[in-house]
Amino acid sequence: MTGPHRETTLNEYVDGTLAAHDRASVEAHLADCAACRAAVAELRSLSAAAASLPKSIEPGRDLWAGVETRIAQRATWNVQRLQWRAALAAAAAVVIALGLYRLLPPSTAPYRPAEQGWAAVQADFDRTTSELGLVFAAERERLRPETVVLLERNLAIIDAAMAESRAALARDPASVELRGLFAAAARQKVELLQWVVRVAAS
Amino acid sequence: MHSDPTDLIHRAQQGDRTAFEALYRAHAGRVYALCLRLTADRALAEERTQDAFVRAWERLATFRGESAFSSWLHRLTVNEVLLGRRAERRREQRVVTSDDPAALERPGGADASSGSALDLERAVAALPAGAREVFVLHDVEGYRHEEIAELTGIAVGTSKAQLFRARRLLREALNR
Repeated sequence: MTGPHRETTLNEYVDGTLAAHDRASVEAHLADCAACRAAVAELRSLSAAAASLPKSIEPGRDLWAGVETRIAQRATWNVQRLQWRAALAAAAAVVIALGLYRLLPPSTAPYRPAEQGWAAVQADFDRTTSELGLVFAAERERLRPETVVLLERNLAIIDAAMAESRAALARDPASVELRGLFAAAARQKVELLQWVVRVAAS
Repeated sequence: MHSDPTDLIHRAQQGDRTAFEALYRAHAGRVYALCLRLTADRALAEERTQDAFVRAWERLATFRGESAFSSWLHRLTVNEVLLGRRAERRREQRVVTSDDPAALERPGGADASSGSALDLERAVAALPAGAREVFVLHDVEGYRHEEIAELTGIAVGTSKAQLFRARRLLREALNR
């Protein structure tokens, strides 16, 4: 038995991973080969020495303080992240409220700048729901899978309703009834996304 | 520490840092030994030990008790060391040297390894990284080749080849 084949076979023999007939063949060879017997003895001795090395070595210094500091930093960061998200949700509500206010008919809106028309409202709403949507995407793993399915289904229904009212408003921008429909769907979407932020933060 | 480990784990999962510190105290030596043998670098081993416990804290909620906590923690530690080595290699092509065998001497002396064990520790530390990792995981820690392949991302055949190479190099070193 020579070369790499010998090394592999003897290691497999020592590890007990040879098939029965190969094992018998190696044992027959070992009976006649002192060099291979010595190699097997060395391999066994090495494996036994490795297995009996101390399993525990105390670090030269106490590492707990560093672990604790990093854990505390992460906890602070998590709180800041959740606070930031809550602030974002609150800001989004204000943006939406302002946008919806601009949509109100002149009789109920004491002030509505002429330059802030439908396009500005739509842009505000799109930006805000996009930001809240990012929060939802980031936090979805914290929610139960069935909750995520329900949320996505509800968001799809709201989006479809809003797409319909957008299309209708494009044809009839002055319709108070259509503005009301859009406002109701927009409020529902913001409330749903705000709920996600609250639940994820709890 | 005489607290019930299950109770400590449960409390730590609820965010109790004192309970987690008790877990750290119970397992730090074992985790550090693993990191030290895998990296052959004392400073890096300290860093990886801390990484492993920070990661364990973050992932405690995923520990469901299907395996022993120590097994869960050791697998997580191996992952941290191997991930750290890949990141390190990517970042600066830094070669982890093994020229610090003193790192493997146990501090204090009262509980020091025997001469032959220390010779073996030094020889293991001097192995090339790939061979050293497989030898430590297989012969010291008792992982199977299939587990090593899963942990390290190498093939089972490669794991065996690295182990046999490590044993050959160690026999040569120890017989010198």
